[in-house]
Amino acid sequence: MKLLIVDDEVEICDFLKSFFEERNYEVKTASSGQAALTAAEQFKPNVVLLDIKMPGMDGIQVLGTLKKKFPRMKVIMVTALETRDKIEECLRLGADNYITKPLSLEYLENDVREKIEALTSSGAS
Amino acid sequence: MTSYDYQEALKNAAKTMVRVKNPRRLLKMIVRFIVKEVGLSHASILMFDQLKSRYIFVDSKGSHRIPINLIKLDQSNPLIQWFSDPAPKAKLNKDFLACTELTSWLQNSEMTHHNAPLKARLLQLKDVLETLKATVCVPGFYKDELLGVLILGNKLKGGQFSLEEISFFQTLANDASMAIKTAEYQEDLLSKNLQLEKQKRELEIRLQEIAELRKKEQETYYQIVMSLAQEVNAKDPYTAGHLKGVERLGIMTAQEMGYDLSGRKKDVLVASLHLHDVGKIGVPDHILLKPASLTEEEWKIMRQHPSKGAKILEPLSGFKEVANVVLHHHENYDGTGYPDGLRGEKIPLEARIVSVVDSFHAIVSKRCYSKGQPIDAAFKELERCAGTQFDPHVVEAFIRAYKRTLNGKHHKEESAHRLAS
Repeated sequence: MKLLIVDDEVEICDFLKSFFEERNYEVKTASSGQAALTAAEQFKPNVVLLDIKMPGMDGIQVLGTLKKKFPRMKVIMVTALETRDKIEECLRLGADNYITKPLSLEYLENDVREKIEALTSSGAS
Repeated sequence: MTSYDYQEALKNAAKTMVRVKNPRRLLKMIVRFIVKEVGLSHASILMFDQLKSRYIFVDSKGSHRIPINLIKLDQSNPLIQWFSDPAPKAKLNKDFLACTELTSWLQNSEMTHHNAPLKARLLQLKDVLETLKATVCVPGFYKDELLGVLILGNKLKGGQFSLEEISFFQTLANDASMAIKTAEYQEDLLSKNLQLEKQKRELEIRLQEIAELRKKEQETYYQIVMSLAQEVNAKDPYTAGHLKGVERLGIMTAQEMGYDLSGRKKDVLVASLHLHDVGKIGVPDHILLKPASLTEEEWKIMRQHPSKGAKILEPLSGFKEVANVVLHHHENYDGTGYPDGLRGEKIPLEARIVSVVDSFHAIVSKRCYSKGQPIDAAFKELERCAGTQFDPHVVEAFIRAYKRTLNGKHHKEESAHRLAS
């Protein structure tokens, strides 16, 4: 259960990292789009939690690249942005879910678990 | 902090809360105050977001702070449920929630089989507290409404919170809730007030628009009335174009009498001189232009023109005095005139002047029913009727003013005609 958390706010990365580590996930964090791509390459996470609004390469660009390179990697967009256009664009690019901040931790954890379960069951078949 | 310190801190906090009108700022101040003065790993405030009925972090300070705007707690969250659910909560203290107390309860041997649902609930609760790294949670209520939760981390010096410390936090939380509610009410009132002000302004604008429309309407109506007056004069070929002359003679007379023409008075006089016969528009041409004497029946109709004129002017709110003059310009000084038989000073002065000027005109101009007469004969006629038909003072002033103008011009006949025309 490998999870990559991408957010330019280090505080958010740290908080979510400790939340998921306590729940027995293996977690890495990245605070920029570029760092996210590098981490994905090396760490090969099952699920990526991806913020949209980041300086430089934004989450939508990262999403596009990730889905091209690693089609099986599950990407959950976690963002404060909530415009219809953005949501549609993310889904078009293959995002597996779109969660807006402030979020319910319970919902987030359930969603991550679901994605991983889907991966393992499809991998098994 | 000592007991004295807490009391002092509370007093200061209470004073500040009264001053701070913005509740968000107040909450930030409380969080900073707690972290700094009490020395905690972190302190955070969860506040109820009424709009979306959820609880969000409005502030968090300290080394283990919770990122603002990342997490929300729904009303179904175990922590929120714990405080907002009025059902009895076992033997646990419900005014605050301490992690240690919760742990010891869970380890208690009494937590047997039949307590399973409660145990499940407490486990969930413990999970939330661990996620938030909370040692103690203190709810803030307003009446029975859970407005927020104060979430406190560990004491940096180690050790547990004393009851005194917890009661200090409780007081703070409840005072803050009160301050938030008060601020909300004030904001609500303020916005309602603003709305009322806005409506009032809109109403004023509408009223002004209506007033302007009315004014415009009246101006238009006045134009119509003026063109009616000209129409009436134009009908009679002998008086056509005489309005300017009538105006001059009327003003001259009024001035000679020492009548104050300041302000609107001059306008009233001028308008009356122009409009006195506007009612003739309602008199059939065969009567108005008859080249012979009128029958009694025809006179009856002819005598209606002052009241018809007044009626035409009625809709003009600024023409009440003018309408009154028009109505009475055929009254006689001795009370034998029409329509009301007014006598002497009861007849408006402007009407008495109009009467003299109009009659003078009738005499000197060659009207359809009589040949025009020279100025001297006209003066004689006016003097003969002074005291009966005319106000003698007006006649006297009229003749004096007229003669002075003639002498001033040295061209008797010519000037007279120019004046009269």
